[in-house]
Amino acid sequence: MAFEFKLPDIGEGIHEGEIVQWLVKPGDYVREDQAIVEIMTDKVTAEIPSPVSGVIQELRGKEGEVVKVGAVITVIDEKAAEGAVSAQPMAAATAASAAEVAAPAKTSVPKEAAVSAPSLPPTNGKAKSATAVMAPEHPAGKALAAPATRKMARQLGIELSMVQGSGPLGRITPEDLRRFQQAGPATTSRPTAVAQPTMARPAYQSGGEKRVPFTGLRRKIAEHLVKAKQTAPHFSYVEEVDMSRLMAVRDELLPIAEDQGVRLSYLPFIMKAVIEGLKKYPVLNSTLDENTQELVYKYDYHLGIAVATDQGLIVPVIKHADQKNLFTLAREISDIAGRARTGKLGLDDIKGGTFTVTSIGSIGGMFGIPIINYPEVAILGVNKIEKRPVVRNVGGQDQIVIRDMMYLSISCDHRIVDGAEAAHFVKDVISYLEAPSRLLMEEI
Amino acid sequence: MSNKTDVVVIGAGPGGYVAAIRLAQLGQRVTVVEKEVLGGVCLNWGCIPSKALIHAGSLYEKIQHASELGIMVDGLRLDMTKLQSWKDGVVKKLTGGIGQLFKAHGIETVYGTAAFTGPKTLAVKDSSGQTQTLEAKHFIIATGSSPIEIPGFAFNGENIIESREGLSWTSVPESMAIIGGGVIGLEMGTLYAKLGSQVSIIELAPDILAGSGIDAEIVQTLRRSLKKRDIQVHVNTKAKKAEVKNGKVHVEAEAEKGPIIMQVDKLLVCVGRKPNSQGLGLERAGVQTDKRGFITVDQQLCTSVPHIFAIGDVTAPPLLAHKASKEGLVAAAVIAGQNEILDYQAMPAAIFSDPEIATVGLSEEQAKAQGYNVKVGKFPFAASGRALSMNASDGMVKMISDAKTDLLLGVHMIGPDVSELVAEAALAIEMGATTEDIALTVHTHPTLPETLMEAAEAVHGMAIHIFQKEKPLAAAK
Repeated sequence: MAFEFKLPDIGEGIHEGEIVQWLVKPGDYVREDQAIVEIMTDKVTAEIPSPVSGVIQELRGKEGEVVKVGAVITVIDEKAAEGAVSAQPMAAATAASAAEVAAPAKTSVPKEAAVSAPSLPPTNGKAKSATAVMAPEHPAGKALAAPATRKMARQLGIELSMVQGSGPLGRITPEDLRRFQQAGPATTSRPTAVAQPTMARPAYQSGGEKRVPFTGLRRKIAEHLVKAKQTAPHFSYVEEVDMSRLMAVRDELLPIAEDQGVRLSYLPFIMKAVIEGLKKYPVLNSTLDENTQELVYKYDYHLGIAVATDQGLIVPVIKHADQKNLFTLAREISDIAGRARTGKLGLDDIKGGTFTVTSIGSIGGMFGIPIINYPEVAILGVNKIEKRPVVRNVGGQDQIVIRDMMYLSISCDHRIVDGAEAAHFVKDVISYLEAPSRLLMEEI
Repeated sequence: MSNKTDVVVIGAGPGGYVAAIRLAQLGQRVTVVEKEVLGGVCLNWGCIPSKALIHAGSLYEKIQHASELGIMVDGLRLDMTKLQSWKDGVVKKLTGGIGQLFKAHGIETVYGTAAFTGPKTLAVKDSSGQTQTLEAKHFIIATGSSPIEIPGFAFNGENIIESREGLSWTSVPESMAIIGGGVIGLEMGTLYAKLGSQVSIIELAPDILAGSGIDAEIVQTLRRSLKKRDIQVHVNTKAKKAEVKNGKVHVEAEAEKGPIIMQVDKLLVCVGRKPNSQGLGLERAGVQTDKRGFITVDQQLCTSVPHIFAIGDVTAPPLLAHKASKEGLVAAAVIAGQNEILDYQAMPAAIFSDPEIATVGLSEEQAKAQGYNVKVGKFPFAASGRALSMNASDGMVKMISDAKTDLLLGVHMIGPDVSELVAEAALAIEMGATTEDIALTVHTHPTLPETLMEAAEAVHGMAIHIFQKEKPLAAAK
């Protein structure tokens, strides 16, 4: 009997997902609980297991296509026996695109050999959680790799369990790691950047062009940004901050933080100042409910922090930032940013933000103009700190002095926030940053 | 005086000295603090001296039985003093070697007892009572472990003793009792039985090597060999008290059947070891320990304080020198900024009983408990040409695999030189080998490692030198 497999509800509030990759092809025999497709929803990727055993008759939907929850994505013939297993390499389309991605190196080996052979999940395997990034099946019950290969994975910042091995029993070879690193999010697996966020540099090639499917997280980011830009008329405002005193305060706290194992950046201070500003100018912590035509003021202060990862920008959220002290914020930033870079965020980690802070200055630049993380109504850009000559009144006389200066750049949804409010808000944030002892007053 | 350096390593045992050398190789400035001598328990009072004596004991025993091989020996005599000085020479050569390596690497050694005075300062008190303070960016605690003393059996350094003293006697005691049928008790008991002592072992648990996870069949083989050497094993027996009278130790114990009273020359107490985490000022540094006193570390050997690391016996069982060394290498790499973690798949271990026991990976029971559908291949040394030609045919190799994937899960062995054979098995597990991989690898003939190949074949019912009725499919998928 043909079983129509509908895309199941894979997480709260998720009603559609993009097919990142088919893990099976028509003619394949699949067993119950075997992963058959990788679906990406709102920045989280999940492998969807088959609810039945049988032979795949038909796949509905191409890789890169967005499907709705409840739509039939594949038809499985439950009667068909295991004998119908096909030992062919991947479907032509996928094989071709894989080869393109891997150019100019030799055409990639049909790495899914292990997938097309039916394999049971390990008896002691982990429970499947639809909201987590799923690892490929490991026929041996764990990711097998020689010690030197495991070391190489650590050096490349790759989580071994995310790599599909090409060797017997799914053994992972150094070649698999290299392929994994190049392929990025288009494969079942995702690279991680524990050590440093390395961008795989494409090999130099003179002339011609290369086409890479625009799928996955990159496309999700693109859609999100287009919506933000098209829906919210942006305006931006930039002001400078004298960070000298805050730097002194941070230097004083550094050894204490270090002793407690806390990596203390400027961000937690800025978040504290932002929260004080939001308390005074609540419209910046609001959102527009377009269905009911109501402005929704949020009394939760969930601050998003933009984190650059190998696959693109992700904005994990620090919940209830107003209720947390400096070191707690610092700890949570390290934790959540780390998990963002290693692809270990859950759906909950990226939902519910009410205002976003984005650090722009790590590479350089005077300042950047950020795009709002829609449906939030404002985003604050934190730029680089540098020594600049400024005029200060010293002993009754104007003098040029050297101070540690930084630009703050804010973008707002002009439908909701006016320039004056934004300017007042920024001025308030600056007042805390320039006189950090004022933050003590507000410390809970 | 205050000295600032990159890393201070506390303890120069097989964890600490290996870490120090690796740190120096990675460009760190290192100071090692040692309270006694370089090499720690392993080189001075543990692994190395015991193996030297065990080797001598085995040779002595072999010569006694050499007539079976047509070698007639008259006037065999044991000179314990000479044996001890040979053993001391072996130890000195090795510890001296560490000293030279330290020198060549520019590693500084400070002798004294260390205690943290803060998260980044360490006070070291030398034997003359002088204290100096060392400052460093990172610390590695590698202070090892000490024997557990039990109430009523306080060590007196003479006839109620721990293994350390038991390795430096210049005469063989006529009789000795050992409390504790664990690894050390069995090794020491076997050694002195070979040298001519009448040995009794008192074990509280229902069996020797209790709780070690060693395969029951293997323990059974060992029990037989203890019996052959006239070593009395009292299991389910609680040592009650010991008194020294006229140079003899009167030992009272309570067995299930009733009390046992013994009079022996020496009483060796080997009931386990405890971590050396006391008196180190850990609380002043903020380093946390668990209830038993073991320092809590993560997979990078980092303690609860980010710049303080701990390795070896002081962290957690199993208490093994090679585990300490491995942890030392990982900690050194992490300190030097490398992205390293402890990720070994299996920790090999050896017991220098006679026959030797060696294990790596899961035992049959452990594999079943973890939910594996287990397939076992066994091969007896009695079917090995090499073992027979060494006149050492007791024992077997037991290979444990996952029936579904043929993945090698563990190898547990008892027999001649299995402490050497276990290296191949450990490599196989680290590489993710199947038993078929081992079966397909050519092994030199005639050697003992052939038994591993045969045990791997036996997993598939295809061993050549034993007859197996059951022949599951020719080879695993």
